Amino acid sequence: MVHARCAPRNEALLIWPGRRKDGKKHPNQLFTSKTSRAMSSAATTPPSVDKVDGFSRKSVRKAKQKRSQSSSQFRSQGKPIELTPLPLLKDVSAQEQPELFLKKLQQCCAVFDFMDTLSDLKMKEYKRSTLNELVDYVTVSRGYLTEQAYPEVVKMVSYNIFRTLPPSDSNEFDPEEDEPTLEASWPHLQLVYEFFIRFLESQEFQPSIAKKYIDQKFVLQLLELFDSEDPRERDYLKTVLHRIYGKFLGLRAFIRKQINNIFLRFVYETEHFNGVAELLEILGSIINGFALPLKAEHKQFLVKVLIPLHTVRSLSLFHAQLAYCIVQFLEKDPALTEPVIRGLLKFWPKTCSQKEVMFLGELEEILDVIEPTQFVKIQEPLFKQISKCVSSPHFQVAERALYYWNNEYIMSLIEENSNVILPIMFTSLYRISKEHWNPAIVALVYNVLKAFMEMNSTLFDELTSTYKSDRQREKKKEKEREELWKRLEDLELKRSLQSDGIIPT
Amino acid sequence: MEAIKLMKELKSNLDQEVHYLPKETGLSLIESTQENGNGVSAKCRDARVEDLWSLTSFFGYSTQTFVLAVNLLDRFIAMMKVQPRYLACISIGCLHIAARVTKEECKVSSSHELIRISQCKFTVSDLSRMEKIILEKLNFQLKAVTALTFLHLYHAIALSHTSNRKDVLNLDKLEAQLKACLCRIVFSKAKPSVLALSLLMLEIEALQSVDLLEIAQRIQTHLKISKADLVHWRGLVGQCMREYSSPECAKPDHKKLVWIVSRRTAQNLHSIYRSIPDLPTIPEDTWDESESEDSSEDLSSGEESLSSSLGSDAEGQYFPSNFRSRARRP
Repeated sequence: MVHARCAPRNEALLIWPGRRKDGKKHPNQLFTSKTSRAMSSAATTPPSVDKVDGFSRKSVRKAKQKRSQSSSQFRSQGKPIELTPLPLLKDVSAQEQPELFLKKLQQCCAVFDFMDTLSDLKMKEYKRSTLNELVDYVTVSRGYLTEQAYPEVVKMVSYNIFRTLPPSDSNEFDPEEDEPTLEASWPHLQLVYEFFIRFLESQEFQPSIAKKYIDQKFVLQLLELFDSEDPRERDYLKTVLHRIYGKFLGLRAFIRKQINNIFLRFVYETEHFNGVAELLEILGSIINGFALPLKAEHKQFLVKVLIPLHTVRSLSLFHAQLAYCIVQFLEKDPALTEPVIRGLLKFWPKTCSQKEVMFLGELEEILDVIEPTQFVKIQEPLFKQISKCVSSPHFQVAERALYYWNNEYIMSLIEENSNVILPIMFTSLYRISKEHWNPAIVALVYNVLKAFMEMNSTLFDELTSTYKSDRQREKKKEKEREELWKRLEDLELKRSLQSDGIIPT
Repeated sequence: MEAIKLMKELKSNLDQEVHYLPKETGLSLIESTQENGNGVSAKCRDARVEDLWSLTSFFGYSTQTFVLAVNLLDRFIAMMKVQPRYLACISIGCLHIAARVTKEECKVSSSHELIRISQCKFTVSDLSRMEKIILEKLNFQLKAVTALTFLHLYHAIALSHTSNRKDVLNLDKLEAQLKACLCRIVFSKAKPSVLALSLLMLEIEALQSVDLLEIAQRIQTHLKISKADLVHWRGLVGQCMREYSSPECAKPDHKKLVWIVSRRTAQNLHSIYRSIPDLPTIPEDTWDESESEDSSEDLSSGEESLSSSLGSDAEGQYFPSNFRSRARRP
């Protein structure tokens, strides 16, 4: 069943079965190699390992792999595509241009197989230059956009970009570690995207006509493409969807709902989707434009979708964008601060320090914009968590948490509420000043304690003396307990000596 | 009897205390020195003593260490004209000596640790040289009789007379108040016995205990402390206490502390705003989503007018004037 030439080499088997060290595939084995690979990977895949631990996985990394390419635009190996070359647009008169434009669009509907690097080279080049020409044409021309052009444009774009995305090369593609699989037909695809964006941005573009062709079905297929592994494609898709959202008011609710679905599926079902960061970027620009007062739908989105997104393992891939969205929401409606922070505290990472550092960064950004009245509402649970972070044995977590005290605005909030915050923080700070293994942390703790001392000397002194007396009481109890045990031992010893003269060991 | 023994001890300490007083002229000179003048100013000294307090607290040293350190410091700078830039080294040196003298039950931290935590710029050898100088100049007279000595004695006396109400006088609280006083150079001029008595009487006043007041007055007569002195110092101490326990926070205005973080943390400190490339904001129009969410009908009537106002040129409405306003961005 497994083709000899495609069997994974032994070294590869040891690390990631099913992955070849070189990315090359023999052209004739296009289809077979994929199946055999899929089968071999299915047979020997190790169970899914929890990938996000605190240690860098670079140490267990295999040798750097050449970027592989794939595409699922399979064409039957039948007759090659023949396109009759058309004249250049600039070479014909203005009246003939719209029709020529349509013809070129139709020609570009032909899709080529890029996995086969040797086939149809001449035609591929022709299509590429045609596409290039169309891009320029759309950018500078006036009066070319007739009503007939719209369906042709949408058709050409659909034919080129809408496809089933190729399955991931390895069963366990880790977006953080592995090189992405790039789209093989990018030379054409990029131009199609470029063309479409300029078309949407063109001065002559009329959404009222276009909406007949750019409908919900189109948008749905567009959204599915966001799962592409190729970051360049996702970047273009981001721009495309952003423009569509901006221009087609009737599609906005639909788009938001579909993005919701994608995210919810991502969080609760698959934890696999490559386009989360890009979608979040678009959402950032949408959130930024929300009208006040915020609609209930948006608040729901924040609480039910954005906050749970924090629980995903691959958070580091899109955390910056996610944090940005959250902060935007809070700047729009500060009353949302309490549910947001409580949500973050609820999902606070317990075993992943890398995530904890991210959460601390996000929290600081939130505190940077928080209103003092909101701060007072959540200060207790917040600082209880910070107190735990500060005593974390992982020095990066402790360091990041202690660094809050270098933030002027946060310091001013703490000063105003030092009588609540100081008692919460005091015990752990004092304890780690004596016990933490990392000297840099101990030095930072001094900074924090000094700040507290100067903020509220009386309270600080009270807490110090309470702490000391508590410790003394504990020591005393410990001593008493030990003495009790010793007395029991002696008693036992005496009794057994009396009875049979044998000393028990 | 216990009380008689304590009283005797009081008397002997009273005779000793004058030997450990810093030179008054020296202290006055410091008080009159200008801020950025040639010598050590009062503010400079006070700031240093506050740092010593922080360090004492941080390392868990006893009040005894702190009080002794301040005593050594005051005596030294009152007799020697020192430059402000050496004051850090001198104060840490005094603390280190004091910690060794009082035989701290927690281990005395090494010089290296002291310097690292206090973020000072001098070296360990600088510190040990300075310590030698201090010890020489003070003639190795290190078992100082301080206000704390008297405070302990007063407390013991009060305890022995009113054994049925044990914890009425809180020694910890008195010690904390003494520490607060010592952060002002003016109190270094006071005789330790008088300073301690002032603190005691203020606390007794707060407690409104007639018995304790009587005890205090007896101590006063026994030690022959003049009423004028006591009134003068009580006034100053009272003022200091008011400031100490005021709910207003004192913002630290002297030396800003250095925050040294590891390279990895420093890399992660970037703001999220710097890493996000801007997509233009899409303003939400208040009327545009009046259709329900699951309706797939487009509102064609409204869109005609809107498409023209939106402008098909992408550079139009998407850049509102208040694009990004970060009031608190550094």
